[in-house]
Amino acid sequence: MVKNITIFTTNTCAYCVMVKKWLGAKGYRYEEVNLDVNPERQKEAFEMSGQMAVPVTVVTKQDDSKEVVVGYNLSKLAPALA
Amino acid sequence: MTQQEVHDVVMIGAGPAALTAAIYTTREDIDTVLFEKGVIGGLAAVTDWVDNYPGFPKGISGLDLAQGLNEQAERFGAVIRLGEVFGIAETNGLKKLSTSDGDIFAKSVLIATGSDYKKIGVPGEQEFYGKGVHYCATCDGAFYRDKRLVVVGGGNSAVQEAIFLTRFATHIDLLVRGDKMRASEILQKELKEHADKITVHMNTTTDEIVGNEEGKVVAVKGTDKTNNSEVEVAADGVFVFVGLSPNTDFLQGTDIRLDEIGMIVTDANLETSMPGVFAAGDVRSGATMQIASATGEGATAALMIRKYLENKDKHVVTPPVPAVADVST
Ligand SMILES: Cc1cc2nc3c(=O)[nH]c(=O)nc-3n(C[C@H](O)[C@H](O)[C@H](O)COP(=O)(O)OP(=O)(O)OC[C@H]3O[C@@H](n4cnc5c(N)ncnc54)[C@H](O)[C@@H]3O)c2cc1C
Repeated sequence: MVKNITIFTTNTCAYCVMVKKWLGAKGYRYEEVNLDVNPERQKEAFEMSGQMAVPVTVVTKQDDSKEVVVGYNLSKLAPALA
Repeated sequence: MTQQEVHDVVMIGAGPAALTAAIYTTREDIDTVLFEKGVIGGLAAVTDWVDNYPGFPKGISGLDLAQGLNEQAERFGAVIRLGEVFGIAETNGLKKLSTSDGDIFAKSVLIATGSDYKKIGVPGEQEFYGKGVHYCATCDGAFYRDKRLVVVGGGNSAVQEAIFLTRFATHIDLLVRGDKMRASEILQKELKEHADKITVHMNTTTDEIVGNEEGKVVAVKGTDKTNNSEVEVAADGVFVFVGLSPNTDFLQGTDIRLDEIGMIVTDANLETSMPGVFAAGDVRSGATMQIASATGEGATAALMIRKYLENKDKHVVTPPVPAVADVST
């Protein structure tokens, strides 16, 4: 079960729009951290994902374990939410 | 008997070409479904700024243009499914598409799958993918605030994206393999205006992306071909824009004819060698790789599809009875 979802995005990132669109279509709520607005959280996104890329979707489960998906990748995103 | 899913037209891809075609077909009440495996809006959506699309005298952001096309197509009833098409075959006068949603059937098909970024194939490129080596400036540029970058390529995309990246990076080295820039005159002029931040290295190949013990990119090695000397520039990240290759792998082994570089061959009506299957935009042999031409071809393809369907409707087509349970969603 999913406890919460955080997505790290930037203003110009089209793949971020797709992750939000897909989550919205599936009825998931999420918190968005826009790195253009909050550049100080860039390090956090990098530490979570190990990559210098957005979108980074962090799915926190009920037991507080986390699954991190980089990019708009439905073959990883769908199982991470299952 | 379970009912098979049959549509008037299925469009593969939802970039500018297919979205425009969908605006036209849905306004003619032609039942239209699009499959998009990546971003709705295609490469236009990941382009920072578009200055040459008619009707926008001040230019428009690629993302806004893509969203406008998306809304306009949906407004008239286009259905965009987030999924991939893996293959296409003819059965009983219909086209059978294998997709991530299972098999579906269409009376006609538009292939508008565009193209993807080419890799340079040098040591370090794969290893640092996403961690220092990137292909999308609008996606990943923000990670390089106050950092040094290398941009590889000398065409429109490379120059346009290098200019975009100046808003983040302190300095950019642009490595151009040839002795001439392929970018348009106007972009080259703009490039000169950024000479304080962008250093252009002509005749310079990119040979290796070098990292340190912490797994971070620190430099790019190349060769200055004028005197065969080694060039090494410090860099925290590398953005590669060395051209595109068509998204047609899924058509290998089908009756759809491809040219020597894998682009789809069509006749003057944009119809491929498989009757009822049309192609438009960047994926079509002879394409001019512009949004305006992609949307123009999309409109043409839609009108040709309408004509094809009008003729086809004079003959009755029945979908084959499925051997197993219905897989449509
Ligand atoms: C960096 C950059 C800057 C550019 N700047 C400009 C500019 O300023 N002006 C201009 O006019 N043009 C510009 N272009 C070119 C322009 O983006 C393209 O010409 C245009 O997007 C082509 O549209 P299309 O619909 O043919 O293909 P695309 O935009 O490539 O769309 C094709 C879509 O099909 C999808 N797809 C592929 N295979 C499948 C499959 N099997 N199943 C489902 N979906 C699939 C892809 O995910 C993609 O979204 C630029 C391109 C780049 C890379």
